[in-house]
This record gives sequence, C-alpha cells and structure tokens, in this order.
Amino acid sequence: MAGLAEWAGAETRPRYGGTLRVEVRLPGDSADPPQIGAGIADLNGSFAITQWDGGRRAVYEASETAAGGRPYLDRVEVELARPLRDQAIDLDLGKADLIELGLTELRRQPAGRKVWPSAPVRVLALVFGPRVDDARVREALSLGVDRGAIHRVLLQQQGEISGALLPQWLTGYAFLFPATADIARARTLLSGMPAAARSLTLSADDPALRPMAERIALNARDVGLTVAVGSGNADVRLTEIRIVSTDPARALTVVAAALGANPPARAVSPEALYAAEKALLEGFRVAPLFHLPDIYGVSPKVKGGPGISPLGEWRFENLWLEGGRP
Amino acid sequence: MTFRTRLLVIFTLAVVVSVGLVEVLVSGSTRQAFEGVEAQRVDALVAQFQKEFDRRREEIVRAVNGIAGSDTLSAIATSADFSSYYDAAQDLASAHGLKLLELVAGDGTIISSAEWPARFGYSEEWLTRGTDWHSLGAFLKREELADGVALSLLAVGTVGVADRQLYVVGGQELDREFLSTLVLPKGMRVLLYRNLEPEFSPAELVGDSRFGDAEMVQPLVRQVLGDRKQTTRILGRGADAETFHALPLPGYEDTLLGVLLIASSRRELVELEASLRSTGIWVAAGGILMGVVLAWWATARITRPVQKLAESAGRVAAGEWGTTVEVASADEIGRLARAFNRMTHELVEQRQRLVQAERVAAWRELARRLAHELKNPLFPLQITVENMQRARENYPEQFDEVFREGASTLLAELSNLKQIIGRFSDFAKMPAPEMQPVDFNQLVSETARLFEGQLAQAHIAAKLDLARDLGPVSADAEQMTRVLHNLILNAIDAMPQGGTLTIRTSALGEGIRLEVSDTGQGLTPEECERLFTPYYTTKTHGTGLGLAIVQSVVSDHKGHISVESEPGKGAKFRIDLGGGA
Repeated sequence: MAGLAEWAGAETRPRYGGTLRVEVRLPGDSADPPQIGAGIADLNGSFAITQWDGGRRAVYEASETAAGGRPYLDRVEVELARPLRDQAIDLDLGKADLIELGLTELRRQPAGRKVWPSAPVRVLALVFGPRVDDARVREALSLGVDRGAIHRVLLQQQGEISGALLPQWLTGYAFLFPATADIARARTLLSGMPAAARSLTLSADDPALRPMAERIALNARDVGLTVAVGSGNADVRLTEIRIVSTDPARALTVVAAALGANPPARAVSPEALYAAEKALLEGFRVAPLFHLPDIYGVSPKVKGGPGISPLGEWRFENLWLEGGRP
Repeated sequence: MTFRTRLLVIFTLAVVVSVGLVEVLVSGSTRQAFEGVEAQRVDALVAQFQKEFDRRREEIVRAVNGIAGSDTLSAIATSADFSSYYDAAQDLASAHGLKLLELVAGDGTIISSAEWPARFGYSEEWLTRGTDWHSLGAFLKREELADGVALSLLAVGTVGVADRQLYVVGGQELDREFLSTLVLPKGMRVLLYRNLEPEFSPAELVGDSRFGDAEMVQPLVRQVLGDRKQTTRILGRGADAETFHALPLPGYEDTLLGVLLIASSRRELVELEASLRSTGIWVAAGGILMGVVLAWWATARITRPVQKLAESAGRVAAGEWGTTVEVASADEIGRLARAFNRMTHELVEQRQRLVQAERVAAWRELARRLAHELKNPLFPLQITVENMQRARENYPEQFDEVFREGASTLLAELSNLKQIIGRFSDFAKMPAPEMQPVDFNQLVSETARLFEGQLAQAHIAAKLDLARDLGPVSADAEQMTRVLHNLILNAIDAMPQGGTLTIRTSALGEGIRLEVSDTGQGLTPEECERLFTPYYTTKTHGTGLGLAIVQSVVSDHKGHISVESEPGKGAKFRIDLGGGA
C-alpha cells in the first residue's frame, strides 16, 4: 500500500524540470517569434524565447520572473511546420510530448491517449470570390453541402455543424442559422441556367481540407453545379477563420475583417449581434459550415493539464513532466 | 507477218500466259497458305491475350476476396460506426494492388471509396439486387469517377459477420495504364474502345493507339457494337496493315460497355509475301525469257523446212517446174516435202504431155485450116477445068470462050491460093520489132484514113478519140500499123450491118493505152477466151491468124492485150504498151 500511495503522490505532485517537446503544423514565417495570436505566442510571459531557428524551431526557457511564478517546465521546444502525420508518428515514438491532431487523426489514437480539445474556435466556411456574381449559384452551393455527412465522416463528429459565423457556445443563437441541405431548392435555383454559369472552381487554404472540398464538389454535382477542386485563385475558397475572443461582438468584428467585409456595428445586445451576423451572411458571399475545435494529442508523460484553454490558447506554465525533479 | 513470226508470237504468248497463270496460282495458293498460318498465329496470340486477360480477372477476384477476408474488413463489419473507416479503402487498395476499391455497407451505402473518397455515404444500389457475386467473377462496369466516366473491371466480395454484411467492390480501371500492364506477344497491341458515349468518340479509344487509329477502327467498332459478336478484319495498308480481332465486352447487366481490339501486325507476312512476289516475278521473267528463246529456236527449227517449201513453191509458180525440196525428216513436214517433190515431178510430166498434146492439136488445127482454105479455091479450079474439058468434048465451037473465062477464073483462084500461103508465111516469119519513138495519134489517124472508103462502103462511122498530150512511145511502127489494121478489119467484119468504130488513145504512165471498139454483135465469154488462139476464128472466112498476129506483136512489145465484150454489145480491144504494162 505504501508503494501505491507513493506512486499516486508522484502522479499528482508537480515536479520541476524537463523539456516539453511540442510540434505544430503551421510554419513560423516571420523573422522574429510571434508576439500575438494563439499558440506559440501564448508562451510569452511564462517563458522567454532563447532560440528562433528560421521559423522552423523555437526554444523557450522558463521565466524566473513570470507573473504566476516560475513554470515547472525548464524548457519548451517547438518544432514548426511539422506535418500532422509526422507529428502523430513522433508522438507514438516518444519524440514529441504535445502535438496537433488532425480531425481525422482522432480516431487513430490508441486507447487511453490523452487528448486536449478546445472549444470550437475555428469557423470553416465557403467564401465566394467576386467572380461568382450570381447569388443563386452561391445559395445553391450553400444549400447543396451535406454538412451532416461531412461532420459524421470527415470530421469524425468533432466540432459543430453550423450556418453561423460565431459558434453556439459563444452567442447562443447560432442554431437559428439554417445548416441543412436542401437539394430540391438548390436545383430550382439553378434551373435554366447555362452550364458555363454553373461551373466553379474551389480551393482549400489548408491541404488537410481538400477531402472536404472534394466532398463539397460532389455535393455540388448533385444540385447541378460543376465544381472543380484546385488550388490558388479559385472562385470559392474553403477557409478557416479563428475566433480570437470570447467577446462575441469583438469576435464577429475579427471574423468580418477576415472575410473582407465591412465591420459590423458594435452590438450591445444578442439581438443586435444576431442582426449584425445575419447581415454579414446576406447574399451568400460566405457560407459557414462548421465550428471546429483545436485538438492536441498529449504524451502520458505530460502532467498537470489541460494545457489548452477553451479558446485553444497554450497554458503550459502549470504543466510538468513525469520524471522531473520533485 | 511471216509464219515464223506468227508462230514465235503464239509460242511467246503461250509461254507468258502459262507462266503468268502458274505464277498467279502459285502466289495465290502460297498467300492462302500464309494467310492460314497467320490466322492460326493470330488466333493463338488472341487466345494468349485472353488467357492473360482472364488471369488478370482472376487476380482481381483474388484481391477482392483477400480484402473481404481480411481482419480489417471483419473489424469494419463489426464496427458500430462506419464513419471512422471512410478512408480505409485507399490503404487496402494500395496494399492489394487495386486501383478501384469501395467498401459498401449491406444497405448499399458507401463506407469508403479509394477511387473517389468523397463518395462516402452515397448509395450503390446495384449491389443489393441479390446477384450471386461469387459465381459472377470479375465483370465490366461503367464507373463514375471524380474526373469522368471510366470503364472498370470489377469483382465483388462479400463479408458477413453475424447479421451484418459488407460488400467489397474492387478492380482496375480499363484504361491505357491497365492495358500497358498486360503481357503481350511481340507484334501485338491492344486498344480498348470504351462504349461510354452515345456516339463513337475518338477520345474513348485508349491503349497503344497511333495517329489515325480512331478513324481506322471506327467502322469495326460500330459493327461489333451492332452485331455484339467477335469480328476479325484487316485494317491498314501494306506493311502497316494489322489484323484486328474485335471482342465485344459486355457488362454484368449485358450492356455492351466496350470493344477490345487486339491488333496483330501483318508486317512479317506482308514482307514475306512481297519477297515471294518479287522472287516469283523474277522467276516468271526468267521463265518467260527462256521460253521466248526456246520458242525462237523451236520456231526456227519448225519453220525452216516450211520456209524451204514456200520458196520452192514460189520457184514453181515462177515457172521452175522441176524444183524439188530436200526431205530432211519423216514427219508431216517430210511427207509434205515428198508430196511437193512428187507434185512438181508430175507437173513437169503433165506439162510435157500438155505441150505435146497442144502441138498435135495445133498441127491438126493447121491441117484442118489448110484443108479448109485450100478447098475453097480448089473447088472452082476443079469446076473450071471440068467445064473446059466438057466444052472441048461437047461444044468445041464454044471452047475458046469457055477457055478464056476458065483461064481467068483459074488465075484468080491461083492468086487467092498464093495469098493464103503468103499469110501463113507471114505468121511463121514474124520478125523481131524494131523499136523507135512512135507518135500513136499520127499512126492511128493515117491507118484510119486508109480504111475510109472501106468503112463508108460498110456503113461504118469511124470515131477517133485521141489523147492530146500523148508523147511518143517506143514501138515498131510497121508492126503496130499491122496490129491496128487487123483490129480495124476485125471490127468491120463484126459489123456487117454497119455501126461505129471507135479508136481511142490515152496516156498510161510513160506508155500508151490503145482501144479499138465496135458496136457489132459481140462475143461470148468462151469466144473471148479463145480469141487469140492461132487459127481460131468466129467468121466463115479468114485464116484465124489475125488476132494471133496482133497478140504476138503486142507480146513482142512487152505489152498486154485484152478484150471486153458481151453478146450484142460490141467488143473493145485494149492494148497497153510501155508504162509497166
């Protein structure tokens, strides 16, 4: 019994020391480490940057002067621009302690694997370019997307189906925006339209989103649209916009700015916010599809989590590693 | 064309036709034999290809069954949620070497699709119709893919776990890549026409195609699509020609989804045939040349005795009656030569006999004429002498008078006898002509003038038709005057009731044509034939030597005399002198 008590103590008692190896997909393009935004910028304060290697690797040392006290970890090493598949392999092989998990990777994780999801903080949407000037085409494509199938299969039921820009947990009214497919209406909208007007190109900002783009193209075919999935400057983009604030009004402003739309009026009530968001969606220039969380796979050695806030921010100051100094 | 040339041409034609016929028959039968061998080769190649194709079908069935029996499929079948396996097909397809693979739930809903991952959740209703997929094996199917419609070779496997069933639909796309993996014999290529469009589309012809293939195979494809049965046809020209075996490819619902075109090059066959044809032509040319040489030799050998016979016959025709030919063989030509020699021998003998007979006949005719001519004056002589004797015995007082009259008669008849003898003497002593330029117009005019009185007495009108531009002609003027004299006398005798005598001269090249016509009683053809025979006459008087003398003179002048006459229409004597007469 003494052994069990000792083991339990070792599991729950924070320990100092160790290096947390983190791998992320996005590259750090800038010459200097980022100071704002989710992810690596969240380390500032608790940790201090000691190495920035061409945007591929960053090393942070624990800050002795951190506001909440020195982190348990001595060091955080971040590998940037690491493909999701390689991250998963590194986690399996013990070369990484914390990795991003693609939505489709979730089901491949071994039983008992620790996973830290955030709240749905990314809105996935179809954004139509200026070349698609016929609102009927935009609406038809929005109505043709079978969000349920994509959510069930491609997203592995992660995140939420939505027709709104802001997630339900943030506004409480997202369910009011329709998100179900209506093939019949979509076909009616396109009836009599020449084939050339019913042809579109679709690109996905993130290669990981390409299967979803393919599915959307297939759905589009069912309603009479010819959608070719490509890359670069396409008629329609499948893009992801991050919710950066728990303040709905501010979040909507950021989303509108990301979409290139006029900033909505400052809403002081949920009704005004709803009206502002609805106004942004008028004309089907943008068709929200899903709200997705950030999901991280965590090595069993990492203790003290979750190290991810509901908005997906890194909170590593309270983490420690198994085998650290008592 | 000579007999020898004609024979040579016939022999040559016979050789050419024979050699040509043999060449055609030999090359035809050779080509037929090669075509048969080629057909067998192509059949073997097609069978080999079909075996390879069947092997690939079996491979697909094995791969599909292997997937269906895998642990992965068992895990999927027992899974409560298929959605987490939406990309399982890609790894399975890659692991089993399949390009197409779909994992389908028992209700026909696609769980995972390797060829079109986005199709998860869509329905494949055709799988749920209760088909016995196991016995069906691999089959063809029209498959819709993200980038268009494809023709696929599929097999369906089933997985049954408890009361749940999964379908595994796997296979290969029948495209250029698939065809390129088939192991083909040398000289063979495979094309596939995918019958996926309502009309023939060149874009649907895949495989080892070349420029112009689509246009070339289009009729064949149309025929196979219409008849739905295997067809073989040779397409292309020359060494580029190929034997195309077109196999209809029905889908599992009996729709014709494609036509497999197995092309076997005919280059080797065509080159072999060309070589044989070239050899045949050279052999035929050599044969013809040799045939012509042999024909020339044989013709010369055959025609030489015939030629000699012809030359001998020509000499016989020229009057060399005793000509003979050498008998060099015992065949028909030898017999002909012997017959020819016998014939000329008999001809010589017959001619001698004929000359002898003619001579006898001439003497007989002379004797008859002499008897006839001499009898006429002798009879009055006899009567006169008898009258003188009778008057001397019975009427001496009148004897002087009778004697005077009798002596006168005797003298007249004796003169007549002398004249007759003189004519015979003239005929016998016809001199050779003394040739000198003679103006025939003048000769005719002067001679006619001598007969003016006699013609007037006989009520005959003389008409001279003399050519103006007639030049002098070499002739004996005296003899030609005698000729004209005789012809005018003859005409007078022919017109006892009077008539018209026409004498006409005309130029005949460098010679002359002289015509003496009368309007008398004319002559029969028989009389015309014998008219120039000596001592022949149609008159009751005369010696029958006049026209004979005429013919003799004309003949001595190297001329020619002829007569035209019909009974009752007068007669026309025509003499051609000089001018090649």
